[in-house]
Amino acid sequence: MDFWYTYIILAEIYVLLGLSTNLLVGIVGIFSVSQAAVFGVGAYIVAAATMSDTMSFVPALLVASACGLALNVLVTLPSLRVSGDYFVVTSFGIQLLATAIFTNWTGGTGGANGLPGIPPPDIFGIAVTETYQFLVLSTALLALGCLAFWLAMRAPYGRLLRAIREDELAVAAAGKNILFAKVSAAALAGAFAGSAGGLYGTFLSFVDPSSFDLDASILLLTMVVVGGARTLAGSIIGPFVLLALPQLLALVDIPTTVAAAARQLIYGVLLIAFMLFRPQGLAGEKL
Amino acid sequence: MSAYLAVSGVNKSFGGLQALHDTNFEIAKGKITCLVGPNGAGKTTIFNVITGFLPPDTGGVTFQGRSLDGLTRQQIVHQGIARTFQNLRLFIDLTALDNVLAAIPGQAGETPWGAIFRPFHTAAVQSRLRAQARQILDHVGLADRANDYVRNLSYGEQKLLSVARVLATGAQLLLLDEPASGMSAGALDNIMALMRRLQTEGKTLLVVEHNTRVVQRIADEVLFLHQGHLMAQGTAEEITSDPELAKIYFGGAI
Repeated sequence: MDFWYTYIILAEIYVLLGLSTNLLVGIVGIFSVSQAAVFGVGAYIVAAATMSDTMSFVPALLVASACGLALNVLVTLPSLRVSGDYFVVTSFGIQLLATAIFTNWTGGTGGANGLPGIPPPDIFGIAVTETYQFLVLSTALLALGCLAFWLAMRAPYGRLLRAIREDELAVAAAGKNILFAKVSAAALAGAFAGSAGGLYGTFLSFVDPSSFDLDASILLLTMVVVGGARTLAGSIIGPFVLLALPQLLALVDIPTTVAAAARQLIYGVLLIAFMLFRPQGLAGEKL
Repeated sequence: MSAYLAVSGVNKSFGGLQALHDTNFEIAKGKITCLVGPNGAGKTTIFNVITGFLPPDTGGVTFQGRSLDGLTRQQIVHQGIARTFQNLRLFIDLTALDNVLAAIPGQAGETPWGAIFRPFHTAAVQSRLRAQARQILDHVGLADRANDYVRNLSYGEQKLLSVARVLATGAQLLLLDEPASGMSAGALDNIMALMRRLQTEGKTLLVVEHNTRVVQRIADEVLFLHQGHLMAQGTAEEITSDPELAKIYFGGAI
């Protein structure tokens, strides 16, 4: 049973992160490949805060969320100056920079060895030690995240963001504040990614740089592409489908090193195949 | 009487090309003023300067006695000036209704916190604005296309929608960039009737137009622009009967 719970919890965490990526990349059209960096910062903050007993889980998660928000605004700011293709390169650089810090700042992040022994979450005095308890926690947070995403997208705010992606100049001509809309979208996406990171580290009770590198950012984009851009359904389906893959490979009797390589290969093939043959993903719109 | 909109001493160069050369003109409130001139005369550049899309090198624009210098595009719309684009720039993946809604100013739920933390208020305001947007669509004759995606509208309908979108901003001075170009005879009558109707409702229109027949039928005043310079200003009859201007307009050497 725990096998299934683990799969669902991880998928749920990635859905939260997928919502963040979908908002930024799918809806606003800011093509960021550094979302995993923000995810990582959230994870390290909760890890460091709860391991050192500075804070309990709930305030630590709030801090992680706030830091994700602030960081994502900073990371996205260049996109307001450089457009499209240039921003991809910029955010690529930001991702590499983040990985370098995660790997080399041994005092804060434990370097390549990571931070083991993150305590289980403690929700107002109730210790979440069992996997099924954690499932309740992650499901509750995911429900909140989905609700927020849905409310924002059906409101005029969602329409404003879609209009901006289509034609920024026309939105400006209608007297709307583009800068504010983009920065606030980045903030929202950052808060989602930061809290997803906090949940992730706590659930695994271990964080290391490999979960937050460029591969992770690209995996996220693959989830958005496969699930479907710009829709809530797409953001939910993508992570569940892609995270099922390693679980399925685990059932097949092949050596783990081969399985890891096979997984990367299949992810790559999926990304290319969807881009070519089904750009709207399983349940989304054309990117 | 002070002018409704005054463009004074505007110069604008792009590299070595002087698009606007000491351009001066005024337009009166409640009139339809047509801006004519050959290609490259600077008509669209004037629009860009008035609406804050391009800063003038020198000179400036005043609207209702207030200078627009240094205002952002957004602030200029809020002053009451809105524009269409020659290439329309509609949101083709949105419905006609959403295109209009997107241009209505100051909506509840246009920020993420408004949308997330005040959903009921947002929804209530939206249903009211939806009715308002339907009215605007009805006004331009697109009521039955409200829920169609822009890409399924005909070119003529898209032009009408671009006018609906500037109306949604609530602006009083409408700058229309070639609203009649490329339209069939029937659609042409529609858009001319619409412009007249807007005028009777108190809007002021500044219209870039190439079709002299349209100009003759709608213009209260015509501004003739050539090489970034205002050559003449007068009624449609005065402008079209001037052989010198006709020569410039229809490609005579000068």
